[in-house]
Amino acid sequence: MAEVAPGLTRRDFLIRTGWVAGGTTILTTCSFPTLPTFRAPDAADAPSWLQLLPDGRIRFFSPKSEMGQGIRTGLAQVVAEELNVEFAAVEVVSPDTHQIPPVLVTAGSRSMKSCFEPVSQGAALLRETLRERAALRLGVNAVSVRDERGGFASSEGTRIAYAELVGDEASIITADPEIGRSSPRYAVDRSRKLECIGRSQTPVDLEAIVTGGEIYTRDVVVPSMLYGRVLRPPRSGAGLADAKVEAARGIDGVVEVIVDRDEGRVGVLTESPFILERAVGALELEWGGGAAVGQSDLERELDVERARERDEFEHTADSEGHPLRAAASAVHRLRTRYDTPLWAHAAMEPRAGVVSVTPDRVEVWTASQDPWYMEGLVAKITGRGRDGVIVHNLRMGGAFGGRKRCQATLEAAWLSSIVGRPVRVQWSRGEEFRDNYFQPPFSHFIDAGTDAEGRLSHWLHDFTACPIGFDSATIPKRLHWLADQVSDPGTRRGALTPYRVSDRRTRFSDVRIPIHTGQWRGLGAAPNTTAIEVAMDELAQIAGLDPIEFRLRNLGPDRERLATVLREAARLSSWDEAVAPGRGRGVACVVYEEMTYVAVVLEVAVEDGAIRPLRAWCAHDCGLVVNPGQVTAQIEGNIAWGCSVALQERAEIRDGANANDSFETYPILRQMDSPEVEVSLVERPGDPPAGAGEPAIAPTPAALVNAVFAATGTRHRRLPIRV
Amino acid sequence: MRGEGIEVNGKEVRVPEELHEVRLLDVLRDHLGLRGTKYGCGLGLCGACTIHLDGAAIRSCQIPAGAALGRRVTTIEGLAGSSTEARLHPVQEAWIAEAVPQCGYCQPGQIMTAAALLARSPDPPDAEIRAELSGNLCRCGTYPRIRRAIRHAAAESRRG
Repeated sequence: MAEVAPGLTRRDFLIRTGWVAGGTTILTTCSFPTLPTFRAPDAADAPSWLQLLPDGRIRFFSPKSEMGQGIRTGLAQVVAEELNVEFAAVEVVSPDTHQIPPVLVTAGSRSMKSCFEPVSQGAALLRETLRERAALRLGVNAVSVRDERGGFASSEGTRIAYAELVGDEASIITADPEIGRSSPRYAVDRSRKLECIGRSQTPVDLEAIVTGGEIYTRDVVVPSMLYGRVLRPPRSGAGLADAKVEAARGIDGVVEVIVDRDEGRVGVLTESPFILERAVGALELEWGGGAAVGQSDLERELDVERARERDEFEHTADSEGHPLRAAASAVHRLRTRYDTPLWAHAAMEPRAGVVSVTPDRVEVWTASQDPWYMEGLVAKITGRGRDGVIVHNLRMGGAFGGRKRCQATLEAAWLSSIVGRPVRVQWSRGEEFRDNYFQPPFSHFIDAGTDAEGRLSHWLHDFTACPIGFDSATIPKRLHWLADQVSDPGTRRGALTPYRVSDRRTRFSDVRIPIHTGQWRGLGAAPNTTAIEVAMDELAQIAGLDPIEFRLRNLGPDRERLATVLREAARLSSWDEAVAPGRGRGVACVVYEEMTYVAVVLEVAVEDGAIRPLRAWCAHDCGLVVNPGQVTAQIEGNIAWGCSVALQERAEIRDGANANDSFETYPILRQMDSPEVEVSLVERPGDPPAGAGEPAIAPTPAALVNAVFAATGTRHRRLPIRV
Repeated sequence: MRGEGIEVNGKEVRVPEELHEVRLLDVLRDHLGLRGTKYGCGLGLCGACTIHLDGAAIRSCQIPAGAALGRRVTTIEGLAGSSTEARLHPVQEAWIAEAVPQCGYCQPGQIMTAAALLARSPDPPDAEIRAELSGNLCRCGTYPRIRRAIRHAAAESRRG
């Protein structure tokens, strides 16, 4: 811990010394670690994203990575709109890291929100660049050249298609930032009829996916590649005590066994993929040290009630009025604890990587939410400059926050740099469950109440969890002390109540534990919204009010969009109608990152203690919807995931690692238990696009808990409900 | 006496003896280069590696290649060819029509399970769809669309 001058809080100290500005660490020193890419997408980069090809088609290098959210398709719709072409005329490419400038990590449901404007501006600029060319070709002034589908026409009606503009002097045309004329924006011009935006465009790549032709990282083949595996410590902080590797080295086809005592790892390389298992099995490794923590250690460390006894929380996220005084005058009062466990990503594709290190350059095949971060990490491992490292970023077989860093690729880089041949490393399902980072456990305590009319009297919310934004995987150990001064924005995501209550306080601690915690779908939003929205349901119950009516009563005028989706979810689900015996309905809602508004109603059937989610209704306002089909798909996925964590997901720590390392011990929702989902996309004219990849996950677990209460009268306050 | 090779997607392929004990999934992917069949868990718990063995859906991570000798294997790459002259199998068509895939990684396995179900039960009720497809996990949560796509394919085949 750094020395802090008297009279300064630690945070003041950091701000004054320039380490922290407005909650964000300034990353300036050269000794700082390689970090994710935070460079916002900018229209100035757009000429590198768009090309007119000789056949008249538009090539679009998507600045965002694809993980199934459909961003490549959505952004290509914006391109088609501005360039006045059919969607099929846009060829979408996932660029390598040298083809376009680095862009903000694909995360946080921000891709459409952050890229809509620059993509639209860039495509409009290309269109106007082409109009200039058309004017030259036609011998008229550009202002008299009007749009035609896929090209232009003169005022006399002479048509000229984009393909004709390429001519023979250049094979590809890009936007010219110097054309010096304004580029009207068709995507935002409300007087125009939108042709492509707002349509449920079938995503690109579907045919490749359904025929097995789509290439994921595990499918990459590079000539003369070796097959590698890296054995890692079984728990954080453990080291290699002893390694007997001669037997493995003696196996025919084993190229190399590398013992790295400094880093505590052993690498195995074979000529054939079919002997890798046997080579690994012949290793005799002993690991020692590290934090062999167990589940009860974690639960004690993160016990919110212990922290409350000490009255010690690291951060105050929000504080207004006099909540402690107001609590004394509450007519109805709730004081309750809610807990959610460690959760894994459990993406269907266990991560992999292929890396080829040659004297000239390093070539990387990976699938990451941040290919430029991977480029930097591989550059460091291989001792090259970024110029010498090229990353081909493939479609992710699921990401959900877990693919910012793709460790298998980094291991392949290490092995390839030693042997000088291409190396493939593929993680097993067990490795995927044990050796990635997790959503931290959250332990909440909410003390809240209402007056006689069911209006919130006070809101006191304390919680303990772990770092999510400043995670232990990204921030090296020597800098943990520094990161720990900052209130973690990932941990507190969704932690502030959206309801109107003038006397309130939210405090929390982000405790670093020996288990790596980090980004997971929606960051802290699902655990935090679970606590808030189950508490709201409990308050409605003790105040004797309908759960939706109670929420509406407590929303301020600044929350009209949330009120609208609540009313819409009520309408969609016929909320007021009676539900069959043995069934129950619950509601929950969220304001996600002050951009997207979601209300979910869930109906469950409970039979002999078995809970089955039957139907879900979701009203969702994420502003302008570019592709309703894909936004709906994201909502369906979030609802399935929310049901999954509420019912059955839990990573259990034994000896410092996740003991639930298969789908048997870490089950996820199956087809059998998946509800029917009905979605209503609420769209206020003029609102810009916001995010849809994560928001609906936040209210779903609470809606399920509340539905089970409605069906059974039992309130579950610790997830998962089924252990 | 079993044959020397396996019929994979209509073609007889020879599998060297030293690979007979290797799981079929790995032989398909790394020996035959048929990488549409996916590894998801290696324990038969997720269904990503589903193929057809003599027309029945099985988990290719659960049998050694030697157990398929003399038998007929269909993978996602050969699904269309196995039933019609069309470019795509009706289940694949339905999967596109209903825009089922998100990340797509589990979808070849989902499709192979669905195709085997429809071959056996051309118009399955919802409960049968749910039961049959419950061995195929999807983290993206495409389950409702999978049900819709199977009903879509069933309806198309009734229309003939």
